Amino acid sequence: MFKGMPKIFWVGMVILYGYFFLFLILEITIPKFPLSKFLGVPFCYIYNWIMGLWIINLIVAALFYLAEEAREARLSKK
Amino acid sequence: MGANPIVIIGALIYFAIMIAIGYFTRKAALNASDYYVAGRKVGSFINGAALASTYLSPASFLGLPAFIFLLGYPFWWALVGVIGGMPIATLLTAAPLRKYAPTSFTDYYADRYDTKWMRLIAGVPTIIAGFAYVTLSIVGTALFMLAILKLNYNISVVIGALVVFIYVFYGGMVATTWSAAFQGVTMAVAAVVGAIYTIAHFGGLNPMTDAILSVTPNFFNAPYVNEKPSSALMGMWTGIVGFYYTWHFGFAAMPYTVVRFFTAQDIKSARRSVFWAIFFGGAMYLGLIIIGSAARVLIETLHPYMSVEGVKDAMGVLKHMKGVYGVGGAAVTDYSMIAAMEGLKSPFLLAVIAAGGLAIAMSTAAGWTMVLNVLLGRDLIGKVFGSKWPEEKPVQVTRIMTVIVIVICTLVAFSPPALVLDISGAAFIVILCSVGPPLVLGIWWDKANTTAAVTNIVVMTVLSTFSWMYANSKLGSAHWFFLSKKGGLVTPHQFYWVFVGLIFFILLSLVTKPNRPEVIKKYSYDLRPEN
Repeated sequence: MFKGMPKIFWVGMVILYGYFFLFLILEITIPKFPLSKFLGVPFCYIYNWIMGLWIINLIVAALFYLAEEAREARLSKK
Repeated sequence: MGANPIVIIGALIYFAIMIAIGYFTRKAALNASDYYVAGRKVGSFINGAALASTYLSPASFLGLPAFIFLLGYPFWWALVGVIGGMPIATLLTAAPLRKYAPTSFTDYYADRYDTKWMRLIAGVPTIIAGFAYVTLSIVGTALFMLAILKLNYNISVVIGALVVFIYVFYGGMVATTWSAAFQGVTMAVAAVVGAIYTIAHFGGLNPMTDAILSVTPNFFNAPYVNEKPSSALMGMWTGIVGFYYTWHFGFAAMPYTVVRFFTAQDIKSARRSVFWAIFFGGAMYLGLIIIGSAARVLIETLHPYMSVEGVKDAMGVLKHMKGVYGVGGAAVTDYSMIAAMEGLKSPFLLAVIAAGGLAIAMSTAAGWTMVLNVLLGRDLIGKVFGSKWPEEKPVQVTRIMTVIVIVICTLVAFSPPALVLDISGAAFIVILCSVGPPLVLGIWWDKANTTAAVTNIVVMTVLSTFSWMYANSKLGSAHWFFLSKKGGLVTPHQFYWVFVGLIFFILLSLVTKPNRPEVIKKYSYDLRPEN
């Protein structure tokens, strides 16, 4: 199962799910965690709103297509 | 509250641009390939914006802020789940399916599982989800028509359905791809502008957070660590995880997005399209989180209907609107996002939001109607039942199907059975647990076979549809576990069927006969990136 899947896919999965479950666990174990201050605003705006929703996903999507294009370039050189 | 001329002019400008795009691309849809898959000529930026506007629907634009309004901060994770599913699709389905390059969603099932009847079997849950989605798109278009013209809801439904009908009737996939790309940019800009207005109104994120807490003290409460959670449905971790996964795998497996991978120029373009879809979709979601979070405080402090006798809170405003405009079924809560923007009393803002809302509703309706058109016409009438009609006159067939689909969905839209996001969640779960595993594992696992695919689709379609409807009618919400009781175990949209379906399909495949080796090689092994 999943033979031929580029390894970068599993790296991306670990980043996405690791990030989600890490902060979910922090939220349900540390009281008022979303409202604790970070960079002058409630922390949830940083880890959930900007990073979790947008930046991490853009990074993983870019990782996927750049890694695949590099692999294909290596193959075509061979 | 009357119709504002600036809002009407904003909507007219939007329609003028849409008509112009339709006019300049009209000659591009003259043959079947152009009509179905845009001649496979679409670049990654355009395809990415089109992907975002097609995939994200009124369930996003209206429904997600409405659910944040109802359930509080923990529901933000649902939005993270939706966008988080997009990159996964890049390698899981987008690149392999573009390599395979079919015309229709069911082509893959018929080829990989080696029987034309798979078109019919995979078509059933697709039809259920498709009709649900076209309905919610018409509801969304109608609510924005109501916001623009201040007309009765039923009249707004008729106008909304006509707009969607004309748009799809003359479009095909070329017109819908280019206009969907414009719509993708419009919806993202609208939501971001709405968020900027909202944050500016409060004077920053900190004062906005304080204002939210002053009206809803439990808004940011997480389960287990607070005496009272933000909502009963967010009282346990399964609520957050369930909403996260309800829509998570949709980008990889929902028919209306999968077909957009077929329109990309090549595999490289398909992969890059996903990046741009996240760029536009994520930007829109950033805006929707702010609008949804501030909706209650905006409505309760600024909306003109708060001065009406007997109206005491945001829900009172929405109930009052239900009476004034005759909004059918559960749709009035979906108006909370628009009501919040109305509270800011800026006609320019409302014009931008209305254009964004119309854009997202029309693009989703068009995407799903195209899927249903191709499925009912080309696939079922043509490929399964052997008629030559769809092959000889593809445009005529799909246009007749458009009439049938829009008429049926309009009738349901007069009194929608649930909130748009609930309709969306039901459609996603039915598709993801039934046709999802045979699609994904068909590509990535040699042992995936026809017996398992047929059994999984039939069993999971029945189980997921029944459990959702049972919980919704007997327990009062589709988010309680259907064998539990109201206030018991939280399982949003019965999301666990997605994972049960996957395991069920694997187990069935292990104990049943695999497909022919040449079929597995052509439609599984050869499609994988490293092969």
